[in-house]
Amino acid sequence: MSAYDERSWTGRVRRRAVAALPPEKLLPDEQPAYVASWIYVFGVLSLASLAVLIGSGTILALKGPGWWHFTGAGHFFNSIHLWAVELFFFCMVVHLWGKYWMAAWRGGRARVWMTGAVVFLVAIPCALTGYVSQQNFDAQWISTQAKDAMNSAGIGAFFNLLNFGQMYSYHVFLLPLAVVALVVAHVLLVRRHGVVPPFRVSEDDS
Amino acid sequence: MAAVFDLNHHASYVHWHFFQMSVSNLLVIVAMIVVFAVAILAPFPGGKRKS
Repeated sequence: MSAYDERSWTGRVRRRAVAALPPEKLLPDEQPAYVASWIYVFGVLSLASLAVLIGSGTILALKGPGWWHFTGAGHFFNSIHLWAVELFFFCMVVHLWGKYWMAAWRGGRARVWMTGAVVFLVAIPCALTGYVSQQNFDAQWISTQAKDAMNSAGIGAFFNLLNFGQMYSYHVFLLPLAVVALVVAHVLLVRRHGVVPPFRVSEDDS
Repeated sequence: MAAVFDLNHHASYVHWHFFQMSVSNLLVIVAMIVVFAVAILAPFPGGKRKS
């Protein structure tokens, strides 16, 4: 390590990053034996759904409402986007149930649990703003109903669900950015702390 | 091409006292519970070899 490494902020950040997540922890090539269960698969299934969701959403954003409403390929990618979000929440809920019942916050994993729970909460408005961004009568109906909920909760001045530009910005940029950032933090924390072990069923279990 | 399911009608709901939910939402929740149970109980391929 050179003297320059000591002084430079990049050197300090690198040392802290490698100390927190050494390469063998960041990209492990094996997992503990207890991970060989289907219940441990739903986290990565959620990630796969999120990747499809972002890919199909990017194509929809590039082509626009006229394409996704009135062409065969547009309908196809619109459907991919819808079913990817259905799968994303489906897998995320099963993952959440599994981690809740195995108390996945044990062993210093509180931040792993909290980032996962917050991803779930942020993903809900991320999906709901998609319903009001469809540019059809369904979106108009949902947004006029939902604006009453916002107004009754006292936050209608900040979130105008009848404002397509605002809702679309939330849906394609602000909320996905938050979801992806939280998912990255969640996965890095899982790598750092390892997958939570199951409960011991007897004192003899190691 | 005709849709596999005919969606040109009002959604069906189950209503029991204060509980009200569309049948489609209820089916998704039941499917999640079934998948959760299967994920815990079904043997994982190659799982025995590792332990």
